[in-house]
Amino acid sequence: MKLTRTQLLAGAAAGAVGATGIYELVDRLGGQTPQRPENTVALPEQHLLDGVRIVESNNVEVLVPPLHHEIHTARLAVDRADLADAQRELQQTLAGLDRDYAPSPAGLGVTVAWGLPYFRRLVPDAARRYLPLDRRAGKPVIFDAHRFPSDPTNTRLESNDVVILIRSDTHAHIDDAAKRLRDTKLFELTSIRRGFAGGGFDGEQSLPKRLAVAAGVPGAALIPDTSELFLGFTSTQRAGMGPGKIANFETLGYVDFRGSDYFRHGTHMHLSHIQEDLESWYLNFDFDERVATAFRPNLDVPQDTQTVPQGPSQVSSAADVRRDYRSSRRFGHSASIQTTSRLQHDMVGPDGTHYIKGSAIPVRADFNTLDNPFSWSIRPDEIGVSPAAGVHFVVFNPTGDDFRRNRLAMDGVLPDGKIALPPRDRNQGFNSVLQTTHRQNFLVPPRVHRSFPLAEL
Amino acid sequence: MKALLALAVVVCAAGLVTSGCSSSEAKKAAAAPAAPQKLVCPDLPSWQHLANRIKAPVYCPAWLPDPLIGAIGNRWNNINSVSPDRSYLESFVWQETGGGAAGGELHVNLRGYPGVTKIPTCRTGGSESRNVPCYADPHGTITERGIKTTLYTVNQDADEWHLLLLWRRYGNLYTLSEHVAPPLTYQHVIRYLHQELRSLVLVKPSAATNT
Repeated sequence: MKLTRTQLLAGAAAGAVGATGIYELVDRLGGQTPQRPENTVALPEQHLLDGVRIVESNNVEVLVPPLHHEIHTARLAVDRADLADAQRELQQTLAGLDRDYAPSPAGLGVTVAWGLPYFRRLVPDAARRYLPLDRRAGKPVIFDAHRFPSDPTNTRLESNDVVILIRSDTHAHIDDAAKRLRDTKLFELTSIRRGFAGGGFDGEQSLPKRLAVAAGVPGAALIPDTSELFLGFTSTQRAGMGPGKIANFETLGYVDFRGSDYFRHGTHMHLSHIQEDLESWYLNFDFDERVATAFRPNLDVPQDTQTVPQGPSQVSSAADVRRDYRSSRRFGHSASIQTTSRLQHDMVGPDGTHYIKGSAIPVRADFNTLDNPFSWSIRPDEIGVSPAAGVHFVVFNPTGDDFRRNRLAMDGVLPDGKIALPPRDRNQGFNSVLQTTHRQNFLVPPRVHRSFPLAEL
Repeated sequence: MKALLALAVVVCAAGLVTSGCSSSEAKKAAAAPAAPQKLVCPDLPSWQHLANRIKAPVYCPAWLPDPLIGAIGNRWNNINSVSPDRSYLESFVWQETGGGAAGGELHVNLRGYPGVTKIPTCRTGGSESRNVPCYADPHGTITERGIKTTLYTVNQDADEWHLLLLWRRYGNLYTLSEHVAPPLTYQHVIRYLHQELRSLVLVKPSAATNT
């Protein structure tokens, strides 16, 4: 295949930073690992990490995410007759990782989630009986992913059996976990996806900025120096992330467990890969328009602010989004999503935790990447010649339908009707600079059932 | 230090693709190109005519990236425009639409706004058109040969997707911009803007002519 000139340029740039790949740079450019709280405990939930540090940025509390992330998707190299052994072996491997590393960003976070192909092929009877139901949607909490209005027509809808999310401030911890999991020979890998986040909260140049510049990604020079993510704004502010166990199946009452506690402390995970056109973002949208696009129009934010408050008192309702649209003919990414992603009234969880109106529900674990679209794949067309700016979007919601509602809101489909803008219009949030390449839904069992869920039944 | 070294290699590698330079040439590529010893406007009569027509000094580029030449009316000068308010736009563009390494675009704009120092207002276009500053998102300053400019990264109209240098002199506003498009990266365009700014020849209206 003949390369375009852009590919040649970017490919040459990537080659220049080391034959072993751009991610060799992560440890070299990563700087110091952030300070982390000690004495962390493994929670019943796989998707939650203890020991996450909180810092202040522009007087807003911000969660400091793990620096390094890796995702492995796989088909299972076992059949139904092997399930009991496979379940035991994976459980032992995961327990070994739990023993050797603290369950925190400083140590290691491992989340094993399972796709519908696993439930359908290997545990179909138990899945029919035990998979929780979404009361609002009237269907199971997990279903096959589909394309959204702003998705390209060629967005790939994947069918992996399993996904493993591995997170740490120290890349060697991830490498060790990946090796131990690979050595079980339980998995036939379908892709490896790598990335990074943060690193700029203490005033140094952030990891996304350093890596994007080193990789020669178009537009990299314009990323603000301390930006947590490529697009220039802080994404992990505390008030914008679902608190505690809010995204658990059991917390908000969205889920019918059908008489079993098997999946209590579990959740739903959506995984997608999104390409980001940084050059278009930074050369076509001035700062004020970037704020209007990322958050909402008519928001008065000092120039070059990276952390914009998104607490319960700043939450937009559908009426707010429509009012902004009437005055400016546009709507913002955060504002539109908040119409479905924030609690509409105070709630008390089953463990007595009080969640106030306006609290975020999704627990995001997204991170930036230079994969194009993947670091490695069984499909050769999923390993790009040149690095590309993007995000591996990982989000935990109480159900698949809850994620679907949020994602539709991003496209202007609000609870009270659609805002009539073309799905990829410049005036519609981030959509004009984003391209989703892959999607899949997964079920995250509780820690106790994380290995081949339902196999023992 | 390693990070700086890696970055230098990246910049050089990108330069290698376009220039085909050897290792010694790579060193040249990493540094900004040297300015010509004596600056010669390639088409002084036309620029003089422009200065006389708008009754204000103009800047003639003695250097533009090959194959562009700063001669008004030549094959690369696709826009030669003076508005009723005497502001002007001189646009020089080379385009090759072929696929692969042969394709690309070089596009340089020079503007002047006599008697104006405020950044003008543009319409964004499209069905939801609105007023915005023509030049926005300042990113520091670039100075060459005594001309101190501000770099703007979000620009409108013919300067859309360009990096733009803006400065004020003699009570006028001037801009010089270049398109960020293959074969040029952001870093290439910054280097070229330095070179172009360094090569500007000031042409004042002549007292004798007032055409």
